[in-house]
Amino acid sequence: MKEGKGEIELIKEGKRLDGRGFEELRPIKIEVGVLKRADGSCYFELGGNKVIAAVYGPREMHPRHAQDAKMAVVRYRYNMAPFSVDDRKRPGPDRRSVEISKVSREALDPVVMREYYPKTSIDVYVEVLQSDAGTRTAGINAASVALADAGIPMKDLVSSVAVGKIDGEVVLDLDAMEDNNGEADMPVAMVARTNTITLLQMDGRFEKEEFERGLKLAMSACHKIYELQRAALIDRYSESVGEGEE
Amino acid sequence: MGLEIVNEVRKDYVHDLIGSGKRVDGRGFREYREISVERDVIKRAEGSARVKIGNTDVLVGVKLDPGAPFSDAPDKGVIITNAELVPLASPEFESGPPGENSVQLARVVDRGIRGSEAIDLEKLCIEEGEKVWIVFIDIHILDNDGNLVDAAALGAIASLLNIRIPNERYGLTGESTLPMRDTPVAVTAVEIDGNILVDPNFNEENAAASRLTVISNADGTLSGMQKSGSGGLKEEEIAEVVEMGIEKAGEIREKYLFS
Amino acid sequence: MYKVVVPGDFISEAVSRAGEGTYVEDGKVYAMRYGIVDERGEIKVIALSGKYVPTEGDVVIGRVAEISFPFWIVDIASPYEARLHMSEFTDARGEKIEFGSMNRYLDLDDLIMAKVMNVDVMMRIELALKEDFNLRSGGRLIEIPHTKVPRVIGRSGSMIKMLKDKCNCFIFIAKNGRIWVRGREDDMNLATEAILKIARESHTSGLTDRVADFLDSFKREKGRR
Repeated sequence: MKEGKGEIELIKEGKRLDGRGFEELRPIKIEVGVLKRADGSCYFELGGNKVIAAVYGPREMHPRHAQDAKMAVVRYRYNMAPFSVDDRKRPGPDRRSVEISKVSREALDPVVMREYYPKTSIDVYVEVLQSDAGTRTAGINAASVALADAGIPMKDLVSSVAVGKIDGEVVLDLDAMEDNNGEADMPVAMVARTNTITLLQMDGRFEKEEFERGLKLAMSACHKIYELQRAALIDRYSESVGEGEE
Repeated sequence: MGLEIVNEVRKDYVHDLIGSGKRVDGRGFREYREISVERDVIKRAEGSARVKIGNTDVLVGVKLDPGAPFSDAPDKGVIITNAELVPLASPEFESGPPGENSVQLARVVDRGIRGSEAIDLEKLCIEEGEKVWIVFIDIHILDNDGNLVDAAALGAIASLLNIRIPNERYGLTGESTLPMRDTPVAVTAVEIDGNILVDPNFNEENAAASRLTVISNADGTLSGMQKSGSGGLKEEEIAEVVEMGIEKAGEIREKYLFS
Repeated sequence: MYKVVVPGDFISEAVSRAGEGTYVEDGKVYAMRYGIVDERGEIKVIALSGKYVPTEGDVVIGRVAEISFPFWIVDIASPYEARLHMSEFTDARGEKIEFGSMNRYLDLDDLIMAKVMNVDVMMRIELALKEDFNLRSGGRLIEIPHTKVPRVIGRSGSMIKMLKDKCNCFIFIAKNGRIWVRGREDDMNLATEAILKIARESHTSGLTDRVADFLDSFKREKGRR
């Protein structure tokens, strides 16, 4: 549904409808270890997106025939809560969520050191509680932090954000209004330390030059998100000693 | 199990060859296998095409049916793309509900057609809010020797060109041919040991950690992209695939869609 | 002060000292786990969380999960289950125990103390019983993340010694994060609280002193009552 061009003015006087500049992220909030039963967890807010990721494992993998004798198998389930969108979403996996689960898992695969836990599964569950465009990128950010929180051996964290095109301009981090009425949307995930792209999808229409500019913009935003992810993990164990006593 | 072992061996072989600048089938890194496109192969479908890229063999059929529009686009036709990886095409394919690979394949092909706005959906409205044409694009994989995406996308666009809308069958009048505005073409490449190889065959896909599909239009704009696989890509590698994707798409469009 | 790192953090260029919880890339040592850096001797990252994976020689507390002749299948709080062979027991006449009677020796849910004898590449784990293996009665099992075990033991055993002295309990800490405590009811309660406190605050410094204060203040209160 990217045909609404021109019907709604998305940029007024050089600003976006929510007042952001073209290269500005929405506010981000990250909390680590929010679920008690999960081995690792993370709550991630990006503007109007609220997602929660839980990691279970490494644990014994069922069904057994799906085990890999040499390494752990990562399973990723992206799921939208029925109430997360304006029109109630029918519960359960649909084609969109199957695809998102696949590419999100592949976005994390390059960093997870799966060889340490042969025959097991590492299960990543991402629930979108409230959606405002960019849920898959928020999910990957949350999942990456939750994996670290679960003590999974990893080479790096993965950071993710989308760029897109609205009213002919390349902008960072589209919200739902912009996504529904924009011309292009491109989610990107990256390993910040090595500038390696681990997720890249594009939807809509981009000139080659716009694509290149968009990719650079997404990459620099991933560096910012990485710093926030890292800080959230570090802060969790940097509270001053003693106050925690009950 | 036996199959996996064979694949492991071939993987090393693929890597070794690439180290010395060669591919398993002797092609250059930027060279496609032989492509053939045969149109209107299925009489019962409004449009169809059988595309072969090397041994990869894909059949695409397009059917048009009147149906209800989406509530958020009451005056627009609907595109529904579906892919089936039937067990006949490869020992890896199993029967049952569509797995993530077939879902991804269908969605990437769909994204290219949608993103380019190749079909003028507004002209497919029969009665606003009530009835529009639904374009069903069904992708049937017959033989999988790698690079299903490019074959399926080419089959889809080849099928869509020159479709007569079956008005008579439903007692309707209106637009007589499917209104097409663009010709998106997908070009896929893999990265193996730092080299970019276009049109990967099955063994190359298995040996590669990442794969990138770039879909581009007649005017050189991009209308879809998808990275898949468990590896990562560098900015320069992505730039190389985009560059090559636009160039190769131009050649394929010229040779197989407008001839 | 403890230095917390996340996966991918650069730690050092001393590649030759790279140890557990780290990886080396392009001549640099990076963290591969979310944890605390220990640079005395080898450069290590002590994970703050994660699953227990057995190594040979570990002493663990297991729970019999299944009897599958000729093995007892034992849950050892790990992604991998362990096996104990029936030859660990003989009957009254010194002969092999019979098929069908394995549960008379060890039944489902029994807790045992065992040593990891072998871990093969397929992650099959063989156990052997320790003396006084059976943890059947009069004690309590506490489970904490195995990553916290070193803190409960303390530097050269200082923490555990203090716990035993001040709580008047028998305390056995297994490698897999399971702890067996035996003593009088209220002593066990005190030990349990102290152990959970250590697990909660394992990443902080000055922990031994705070645990000592905690135990002493508890005892003073009790004295007053």
